[in-house]
Amino acid sequence: MLHKLLATVKKEILLLLRDRVGLAVLFVMPVALILVMTLIQDSAFKSINEKGIPVVFVNNDHDSLGNIIEDGLRRNELVYVSDSIDGKPATAESATKAVSEGKFLLGIVIPKGATAAIRKNVAVLVNETMNGADTTNKQQDSVEVSIIVDPVAKKSFLTTITSNLREFISEVKTKIMFETFSEQIAEVIPDKQNAPKNSYQKSQIIHYKEIYASTATDKIVPNAVQHNVPAWAIFAMFFIAIPLSNSILKEKSEGSVFRLHTMPTPFLLLVNGKVIVYVFVCLIQFALMLCVGKFLLPQLGLPALVLGNSMMGILLLTLATAFAATGFGVTVGTLATTDHQAAIMGSLSILLLSALGGIWVPSYVMPEVMRNISAWSPLNWSLEGFYKLFLRGGNVSDILMESFKLVLFFLGTMAISYIYNLKKRRV
Amino acid sequence: MSNPAIIEIEHLTKTFRNAEEPAVNGISFSINRNEIFGLLGPNGAGKTTTISILCGLFPPTSGKVLIDGKDIHTELDSIKNILGIVPQDIALYPTLTARENLAFYGSMYGLYGKSLKDKIEVWLQKLGLKDAANRKVSTYSGGMKRRVNLIAGILHSPKILFLDEPTVGVDVHSRNVIIQHLKEVNASGTTIIYTSHHMEEAEHFCTRVSIIDRGKILTEGTPAELISRNAGSTNLENVFLNLTNRKLRD
Repeated sequence: MLHKLLATVKKEILLLLRDRVGLAVLFVMPVALILVMTLIQDSAFKSINEKGIPVVFVNNDHDSLGNIIEDGLRRNELVYVSDSIDGKPATAESATKAVSEGKFLLGIVIPKGATAAIRKNVAVLVNETMNGADTTNKQQDSVEVSIIVDPVAKKSFLTTITSNLREFISEVKTKIMFETFSEQIAEVIPDKQNAPKNSYQKSQIIHYKEIYASTATDKIVPNAVQHNVPAWAIFAMFFIAIPLSNSILKEKSEGSVFRLHTMPTPFLLLVNGKVIVYVFVCLIQFALMLCVGKFLLPQLGLPALVLGNSMMGILLLTLATAFAATGFGVTVGTLATTDHQAAIMGSLSILLLSALGGIWVPSYVMPEVMRNISAWSPLNWSLEGFYKLFLRGGNVSDILMESFKLVLFFLGTMAISYIYNLKKRRV
Repeated sequence: MSNPAIIEIEHLTKTFRNAEEPAVNGISFSINRNEIFGLLGPNGAGKTTTISILCGLFPPTSGKVLIDGKDIHTELDSIKNILGIVPQDIALYPTLTARENLAFYGSMYGLYGKSLKDKIEVWLQKLGLKDAANRKVSTYSGGMKRRVNLIAGILHSPKILFLDEPTVGVDVHSRNVIIQHLKEVNASGTTIIYTSHHMEEAEHFCTRVSIIDRGKILTEGTPAELISRNAGSTNLENVFLNLTNRKLRD
């Protein structure tokens, strides 16, 4: 039996090596995919960071609120602020027109006297608070900041900007309130030397610090490389279904399968020869992808891939993914009756499984129904496993469940192929 | 004395799923050891179905088949070891060389090492393919492909060899070489079951023939017996046409 298995493996290797287009699909396509997707995503972030999204700012206030918002926006890397349109100072009308023409994604208009209105409101509040009056039901002059939105602007971006604006407005309000309170207190404290004047800046006692929940010994920073390399490597591994199913269909169309079925060699042995070779190809593919992430991407100005703590974990998960991808290819090749059918069935199902699996869009941003479906995609199991290894610094024990599910998927696809073949021959 | 019949078929029937009529309808015949047995019939007669059942490609609907004394229902795996098949369509890997194809198929029949290599070299030499043995099969002429296709079926010296139109589409030279070597294979102890539309070839090549149509055996005997039994027939082709009604078949 071993001689037969070795002969099958040798035959598969020879067939693969002679199929140059197939080899290109297996190795060049995934490398190109990782390069393109990572560069696009990285440059998209960079373009936002370096230049920012165009925002027209109309400051009719010319006081604290307008100035703080303008300063804040100018310091924000997400946006590029302009206060003029075609060389002329922007107005509410010209800003609306410019946004509607797509020259700016957003327009922000701070009304005249906005700071004065806030001051007035705060003064009333402070006075009444100091005098012990109830202010909860009193109507106050409201300040309306207008945000003109281009309909093409993404909701997430809009949310980010409005949240920034709220923060700036809150800052102004707090600052004015602090100053007003300080003045009021200074009036009642006899020793004016000790009055808490101009101490607002000192009141910034809460700061943010980003800490990534990772146990990796290397410093892992989530970036386009850390996300894209495993995601597209998994996608490429599953794309092996197309050349593999083609190889099965070629045997059918070229008549070899007829001869093979009449030989004293079990079906599973013939299929296992293919599985061994294609699993090995998947491992080479994945190693190549890691090399691209580790060595080639840094040459292109991108961060280098950080592999995390566990090489054993990477090997185990890659092997489990390779088996799952190969089993999937065997099933496609068994169920399809023509090359054309296999190509369509293979590519569409992989696209679908990868979309569901969070390769294109992270599953955590999906609606709950889709997140539940996503949990059934083998690409999702693999991706989650690699996220644990590459981003959270996990080890073998952390990815055992994902590996187990992938191996189970492989066994399931092989069982389907075997039963289908058996049934087909019982004509 | 051992059973002279190497293949015994009794009331063999095969009805495909969703088919209205059986493809093979209760046929019975036997093939003796060392015979060259011709199974002749027009398209759709049931000969490929019969051979496919004998090769173990699919099971019969009913009936009994014994090959070398073994029941095809229960001992198919063991039976497959003594069978050789030369299908009508070239069943080779076009991107592999003749030598690589033969090494693979030989291995699937359990050959390996020096024995496999020697057998490949002998047959490549016999069928005039030695010089082209390291070329991809896709670069071969039709006749060369047929010869490699033949070697893949006989490399392991099977007890029973099924030949489905082994000379279709080849030139006279290749045909002669193939027939001559098939006779040698038969002389060395292999029973041959042969199907063809080439009646002249069948008449000269087969020691016994059976004409089958619409799933039933119409007649059986040596080519000379069949010709003499059918008044006015001077060759096997006349017999065949008379028995199968001369109508066009799809």
